[in-house]
Amino acid sequence: MDTGTRVECQWCKAQNTPGTPNCYTCGAPLDVRNVVSDSGWREAPRLRDMTEIHFSQSTCQVEGEIVPVAEITLAPGDWIYFEHHVMLWKDESVGMSVMPLGGGMKRAFAGMPFIITVAQGPGRIAFSRDATGELVVLPIHPDQELDVREHAFLLASHSIGYSYTRVKGLKNILFGGQGMFMDRFVAGNEQGLLLLHGYGNVFERTLGPGESVLLEPGGFLYKDASVGMDVETQRLSTGLFGGGGMNLARMTGPGRVGIQSMYVHHHTE
Amino acid sequence: MAAYTCRWCRATADAADLVSCPTCGAPVDVRDQVSRSGWYELPAVPDMARLQFGRSYCQIEGAYVPVADFNLAAGDGVYFTHHVLLWKDPSVAIAPMALAGGWSRMFAGLPLIMTDAHGPGHVAFSRDAPGELVPVPLQAGMSVDVREHIFMAATNQVRYDWFQSGVWFQTRQGDDTETHYPVGRYVDRFSAPGQPGLLLLHAAGNAFIRQLSSGESMLVKPTALLFKDSTVQMYLHFEHPSGTWRSWRSWGERFVWLRLTGPGRVAVHSAYDRLEDPGNTLAGSSPATRWQWT
Repeated sequence: MDTGTRVECQWCKAQNTPGTPNCYTCGAPLDVRNVVSDSGWREAPRLRDMTEIHFSQSTCQVEGEIVPVAEITLAPGDWIYFEHHVMLWKDESVGMSVMPLGGGMKRAFAGMPFIITVAQGPGRIAFSRDATGELVVLPIHPDQELDVREHAFLLASHSIGYSYTRVKGLKNILFGGQGMFMDRFVAGNEQGLLLLHGYGNVFERTLGPGESVLLEPGGFLYKDASVGMDVETQRLSTGLFGGGGMNLARMTGPGRVGIQSMYVHHHTE
Repeated sequence: MAAYTCRWCRATADAADLVSCPTCGAPVDVRDQVSRSGWYELPAVPDMARLQFGRSYCQIEGAYVPVADFNLAAGDGVYFTHHVLLWKDPSVAIAPMALAGGWSRMFAGLPLIMTDAHGPGHVAFSRDAPGELVPVPLQAGMSVDVREHIFMAATNQVRYDWFQSGVWFQTRQGDDTETHYPVGRYVDRFSAPGQPGLLLLHAAGNAFIRQLSSGESMLVKPTALLFKDSTVQMYLHFEHPSGTWRSWRSWGERFVWLRLTGPGRVAVHSAYDRLEDPGNTLAGSSPATRWQWT
C-alpha cells in the first residue's frame, strides 16, 4: 500500500487509512482539527462514543461520554493490568492474577495500590472510574518514559512496562499532591495501550527546554520523565489573620505535561 | 455594518463572522432554549470562545469542567479565591487582596482572602465539579448577589462586597437550639460602580435564568440559587404537606423554600447541595411565609 496517502494522527502520530474517522491506534477523531488554546494547551482528543482502539490482537471500545467505560476484548494470550477498583464487569472466561511488584511495604505506606491486577484473555472486561471525565489514550514511543499521578491510570496493555518513581524532595512529597510515588510507564518495542482517566477535561502542553509553567498540584495528571517538578510556596499573608500559603508545582521542560481541570485540591495550610 | 445584540448579556457587537458573543461567550448561531415555565437555559459557551475585557481576554476551554484561561495584558488584573487556581505563567504576579470583616468571614467559613493576579501573562481557573462557566458581564451601575462558594473570578473593574443574607431559621431539640442558613450566612455582592467588568461564576450541573417582573415571586430550592439581581428580594417559605403526622418531627414534614420576588433576574443551577434540615421543632426564623396543605 502507498504510505504516502496515509493520514497521520496528530495525537499519537500513527498512520491511518484515508477515510477512517478515528485513529486505529488511539481512537482520536481524524476529521477534527486540534483544539489548542492561545496559551498553548491542547485538549486531549474527545473520543467518540463506541470508538474502537486496537492493540496487539485485542481491541478497546470506548462507551459513553460523561463517565466513559473502556471495554476491552482480549485475544487469547493478550493481557492487561489495572488497579482492581476500576473494574466494572467481566466475562467469566477472563483469567485474573496479580502482578508481582517490588517494594510492597513502601507502596502500602505511600497509599499506592499494593497490588496490580492482571486480566488474561480471551474474553471481555470493562473499566471505569467514579467521576466525570475523559479517557486519555497516551502514546508512548519506544524508550519514552511517562510519569503519571498515582491512581490516575486506568489500564495498560502487557507491552508497556510498569514501575514507580519516588518523588524527590520533602517539600515535593508533602505539598506536591502526588504523595511519595508516581506511576512510571515505559514503552516496550511493541505498540501498547495506556489509558488514563482524567477528572473533568484534560489538556496537554509541550514545554521547551527550560520553559516552565506553575500548576495547582492537584491538577497534575502526567508528564514525560524529562520534565522536572518542584513545589514552590507563595505566601499570601494578611497581617493579623495570618493568611495562608499557596503551593504550586513548577514544571520545567523539555517534555509533555498533562493536566485535569477537575483537580484534587490539597489544602496547604 | 450590522450589529449583533447578545440575548444573554445584551451587549452589542459587530455581527461580521461572529461565532460567540465577545463579552459573555454565548453562541450566536443557536436558538434560545426556553422552557415552557420561562427558564432560559444558559447557552453553553463554545469551546475556545474568547471573552474580551479591556486589552485582555478570557478563553473558555473544555466542556465537562471548563477552564477559564485569562490572557492578561500588562496592568490588567483579576481576583479569585486561591483554591480555584489551576495554572499560571511564571510572569503573572499574585498577591493577597485583604478583605474587611476578617473574623466574621473566618467564622462563616468564607475565604479569608481573595487573591489578585496581574498581567502580563496567562492564569487559568477551574472548579472541582462538572458544570458550566457562567459569564456575568456587569454594566456600569449593575450589581448581582451570588451565593457563597459559587464565585470563580472577576476583573478588577468589579467591586466585591458581602452582606448577611438575613435568611435563617432555628430548630430546637430538647435544650439545644440550632440556627440554619439555607443560602449561607453571607452573600457575595459584585458590582460595577464605574466601568463595565466581567464576573465569572461556576454552576454545578446546568444553569438556568429567569426574569421576574415587579412583584412576581417564585419558590426555589435555597441551595440551588446561583445569583440574583440585587433588586430581587429573598425570604423563607415553609410548606407543610398534607397527611403528615404532626407530632412526628420528621424532615418530610416541611419543605424549606426560598421565595424570590422581582423585579430582576434569578439564576439557578441543577446540581445543588443537599439542604440540611434536621426536621426538629421550628423555634424561629427570619421573615417567612407559610403554607399548610390540608
